[in-house]
Amino acid sequence: MLSDAEFSGPILINKKLTIQALEGVSLINESLEPAITIQAEGVTVQGIRVLQKQSGEESTAVSVQANGVVLRNLKITTRGYGILLRDSVDGVLEDNLISWDSSQGPSTLGEKGNGIDLFNSSDTRIENNRIVNMRDGIYLDNSKDLNIFKNKILGSRYGIHCMYNDGTKIIGNIGEYNVTGAMIMGVRDVVVSDNSFVKQRNNVNSQGILLYDVQRSIVEKNDIEGNRVGIYLERSSQNELRNNSIYRNFVGIQFVNAEKNFIHDNDFVANVIEAEAMDSESNQIEQNFWDTAQVLDMNNDGNSDIQYSINPFYRNLISETPAFQLFFQSPGISFLSGMYEQDNQHSWTTDSSPRLKLNQPVLTSNSIVEDKPLPDKVFLMIVSSMLLLISILTILYSRGQKT
Amino acid sequence: MSDMLQVAKKEIKIGFRNPWAYSFLILFSVFSLSLLLVNSQNEISGYSGVTGSMLSLTLYLLPLMSLFLGSFSLTAEKEEGSWQLLSTYPLGTISFMLGKYIGLSVVLLTIISFGYGLMGLITALIGKMFDINTYLLFLSFSCGLILLFLTIALWIGSLAKNRWQALTISVMIWFFTVIAWPTILIAVLGLLPYLWIKPLLIIFTFLNPAEFVRLFVVIKLGGGAVLGPEYYKWVSWIHSSNGSFSFFVLFLIWLLFSLTCVCWIWERRRPRA
Repeated sequence: MLSDAEFSGPILINKKLTIQALEGVSLINESLEPAITIQAEGVTVQGIRVLQKQSGEESTAVSVQANGVVLRNLKITTRGYGILLRDSVDGVLEDNLISWDSSQGPSTLGEKGNGIDLFNSSDTRIENNRIVNMRDGIYLDNSKDLNIFKNKILGSRYGIHCMYNDGTKIIGNIGEYNVTGAMIMGVRDVVVSDNSFVKQRNNVNSQGILLYDVQRSIVEKNDIEGNRVGIYLERSSQNELRNNSIYRNFVGIQFVNAEKNFIHDNDFVANVIEAEAMDSESNQIEQNFWDTAQVLDMNNDGNSDIQYSINPFYRNLISETPAFQLFFQSPGISFLSGMYEQDNQHSWTTDSSPRLKLNQPVLTSNSIVEDKPLPDKVFLMIVSSMLLLISILTILYSRGQKT
Repeated sequence: MSDMLQVAKKEIKIGFRNPWAYSFLILFSVFSLSLLLVNSQNEISGYSGVTGSMLSLTLYLLPLMSLFLGSFSLTAEKEEGSWQLLSTYPLGTISFMLGKYIGLSVVLLTIISFGYGLMGLITALIGKMFDINTYLLFLSFSCGLILLFLTIALWIGSLAKNRWQALTISVMIWFFTVIAWPTILIAVLGLLPYLWIKPLLIIFTFLNPAEFVRLFVVIKLGGGAVLGPEYYKWVSWIHSSNGSFSFFVLFLIWLLFSLTCVCWIWERRRPRA
């Protein structure tokens, strides 16, 4: 048990012990060594504020090299890496806050380290951490069966960067203003669900979820809004993408060399380009909701009886001349697209039975319930009756005037 | 000033005697109720395909309406000889023109506020919510369209000799700015060097009121990605706090410039005794 005061690092823990700090305990480390190095099994460290002052690739705030370590409630400000796990299984990282130390001026992405960096550390649980302005929020490499739950990652390069981690579960995380929400590469049997990746758009290459060389995985119930590309799939097969809400992205879903994926029951709303496919023939796309689809349901099963083929006219137009993006849903464009519809419809990306209604409840990211003095309905009523009244009065008054 | 108000008052009075005004009023009310029906199938707040089509529909109707009413009002002055009479009085061209503009704006704004008022009231009564922000944005979108196209209507009215000419030119301008706009630009700009396309397109966009009011509303409703990576700066600029203000300033510049030109043309053609 530690109480108040500042300590200066670095410290090395090589016995099994539990360190619990009271509020206001901080550890300031000026050297290049990690502020805390843990080499004994079963160590628990809680509630310390850690400042890692040295910058550079070698600098780390907390380095864990033993099994079964628990890090809880740490507040780490670093100019290098946040938490580094090497060959350490069964660890738990929860409720930590990791942020980049920007007190010494702005830094480029290349200078920054990762928030949580994990190598060969299977069965680790990473839950409820908050990571701000790092390079990769959570970087996972060569480990199996990781559980990444409910973390929040802001302003970093990749929110969650997952390389060669079979059987990992990424559930309930939030990523905003990163370059890419989740980058998932070279894995099998991964579950990505209930995450929210929004506003990943400040970089030309930014995506909500990027899947590269991913097999037999499930991506479901994610909220993906306002990104450059919502979901990007490359060289991935036999994945199931379902019940995702894909709203207002520049490209909703993009396939490159991706085969035999099953995409169903997703909602595609107001994406500029709904879907884009290159060398990706045999994906099965059905029962998604597309807000621009023309639908007709004769047998009342909620699915349209006519298929929806995505017209690539606008995509081709703006990929040749990006400046024409100003014409997005301009009234004249629909006439032009209509002319394009005559030929080779069979090669377009097609949903065989689009849904009539949204599959998921409406995404309400920016309509948090506030205490307003007037409810919207009353306000609408007042505004509209005023409008009506004024217009009627104007008409009556001017009609009634004597010449 | 009082001259201007007199002209405006007369314009309002004549405007509401004009059967055209009422046919447009009925047309617009029916139209806004159908917008309501279209929107009732829409569960999504903010920009979606449905809002996009609603914007397009509004874009078809409102410019045409203001072009007709505005240009006919001016050519009527010429045809009926009332302007020849008025120009013998000490009435300034500017007061006359501004009065006309204000009067016509009042007539047109009355028509659309009737339509929107009816729509909003029915929405609120039957309980099917129209998102209040979307509603207000649509209302201001319509007002913006009307005010800008009315200045174009005055251009047409001052150049055309009679109603038939005004009708022809109005339809032409409407077709050009609303329907054929992307087609023509894509065709013409495609011939030019690649690097010129974007700056020219932006300039043309600011010249076309339909397009620039529409873009503002699309960005306001639609959030970041709708215009794609080429225009991220615009999007963040319009979403910032002074975006709306700058848009308003731009809008005023457009109005003032256009009205000045119209006054100039009208002054040059003023009959001198």
